[in-house]
Amino acid sequence: MEYAAHILVVIGIYAILGLSMNLIAGFAGLLSVAQAGFYGVGAYVAAFLALQFHTPFVLNLTVSAVVAGGLGFVVGGPSLRLRGDYLVIATFSFQVIVLGVFTNWTSVTGGPMGLYGIPPVHVLGSAITSPLGFLVLVAATAAIVLWIASRLARPPFVRTPKAIREDHVLAAVRGKNVARTKLSLFVVSSAMAAVAGVLNTYYMRFIDPSSFTVMESIFIITIVIVGGAGNLYGPIVGAVVLVLLPEILRLMGIPSAAAANIRQILYGLALVACMLWRPQGLIGEYAFGREATPK
Amino acid sequence: MVAIYAVIAAAVYCIVGLSFALCYATGRFFDFGHAAVLAVCPYCVLFLTRTLDFPLAVALPVALALGALLGAAKELAVYRPLRVRHASPLVLLIASIGVYLVLQNSISLAFGDDTKTLAFGPVREGFAILGARITTIQVAVLIAAAIVVSGGAFLLRRTRTGTHIRAVGESPPLALSVGIDAPHVGMLSACIGSALAGLAGSLIALDVGMTPTMGMRALLMGVVAMIIGGSQSPLGISLGALLLALSGALATQLLGSQWQDPTAFFALLVFLLMRPQGVMGKLTLISNG
Repeated sequence: MEYAAHILVVIGIYAILGLSMNLIAGFAGLLSVAQAGFYGVGAYVAAFLALQFHTPFVLNLTVSAVVAGGLGFVVGGPSLRLRGDYLVIATFSFQVIVLGVFTNWTSVTGGPMGLYGIPPVHVLGSAITSPLGFLVLVAATAAIVLWIASRLARPPFVRTPKAIREDHVLAAVRGKNVARTKLSLFVVSSAMAAVAGVLNTYYMRFIDPSSFTVMESIFIITIVIVGGAGNLYGPIVGAVVLVLLPEILRLMGIPSAAAANIRQILYGLALVACMLWRPQGLIGEYAFGREATPK
Repeated sequence: MVAIYAVIAAAVYCIVGLSFALCYATGRFFDFGHAAVLAVCPYCVLFLTRTLDFPLAVALPVALALGALLGAAKELAVYRPLRVRHASPLVLLIASIGVYLVLQNSISLAFGDDTKTLAFGPVREGFAILGARITTIQVAVLIAAAIVVSGGAFLLRRTRTGTHIRAVGESPPLALSVGIDAPHVGMLSACIGSALAGLAGSLIALDVGMTPTMGMRALLMGVVAMIIGGSQSPLGISLGALLLALSGALATQLLGSQWQDPTAFFALLVFLLMRPQGVMGKLTLISNG
């Protein structure tokens, strides 16, 4: 039961990350490899506040989301002008810089050792320490994030991002403010990733830089692509499938040293297979990056 | 002294950058699979020299041939079928991340994740030049970079193949309309680029050792050199590589070596956002919408 609750908590956190990624990749058709960076910013801000100022969970959550959203604004503002593949390089740069700060700014982030001894979440005076209790918190947060994503995925707002995705020139001609919509999606997405980071901090009660590398960003992209980019529930399906996959490998008795590599190979094959044969993912309706009219 | 080490670092970035630029010229997308090819080759050299006792002079060409073959294989198996379906550069990029994951983790499974070295014999002190100590390998790196840059410039400017590569890079449909077999040329430049990536990887492994994930950092440094230089030409990449290495050396001096990579990427961000056309002004990165 504890084990099942733990798996569900992990799925919940990745579902939130997937939902955040889907706002940019699925709705605006842009690819960012900085999602783990924003995820980490949320995690570190919350951990720092909790350890230094003993501020409550809700305040830390809010501050983290605002900080990451602000950072998303600073990064997204100029870099969203770049062509799609150069946006990948720009967000990659941001990801490397953020990871460098996590690893090397030892006085604030604890350096490679990370931060530990983070106090548990208190709700109505009682501490949540069991995975089952935490599952309720994660599920509630994921539901709120899903609700926000569904608001953004609904007319009139969604028409603009989807129009950008299909044909940004036509969208601009029709008077849609393409740049502003892209930027607001990017900012909301960054804040959402930070929320997942805060949850991770309070769940693990320990963080270190290794959880926020570019490989983590790639994993989040894989969740969205495999689940179905542009579909509201696609990232949730993706998170369930990709989090359960290594557990299945473990049940099959593959030694854990090799399992990590085999898991990555399977993710890689899943990405290639999706691009080749099922670009819309498991349940998506939109084929990522396919142009409606061949050039 | 710092300048000498920077030039050596620049030489490596330069070979990687040029190898990537060759693939990028005709492929026109960011191929993360290139990073995996870069790492596969030194591991092939390791296997041939350590397990099969081949001399390095035999092992290296074999490894480079394997690199070229791998470049052709990923082109045939993944990228070409995607192009046929009119996939955008982003789709190719995502597929290439998949290719990278598969290849890199296969190396990890076969050889383990620890740092391995190709260095032979006892460590010698190296030559003293302008206060710096330079090993034989580092001299080889400099010579290789000089050959690759001049060879690359010759190939692209003076040969029929080079003209075809540049033509396909400018516009595939136009190249096709004047009778150039664009897929064939693309395949050829992918092979040459992949072999060069293997050379860069083997040189890095000989100098400082190798890990299965070595390709990612090397590839990014090559790409950064290309973007800062602002041109896919060998000269532009050399210029970018030099600027990148000097900024890295400066960061090491002022902030400490752990800030070298963040500084390099900060420089890249500044370039992407302030001067996206690079120093030479020959890249177009801004989307038209």
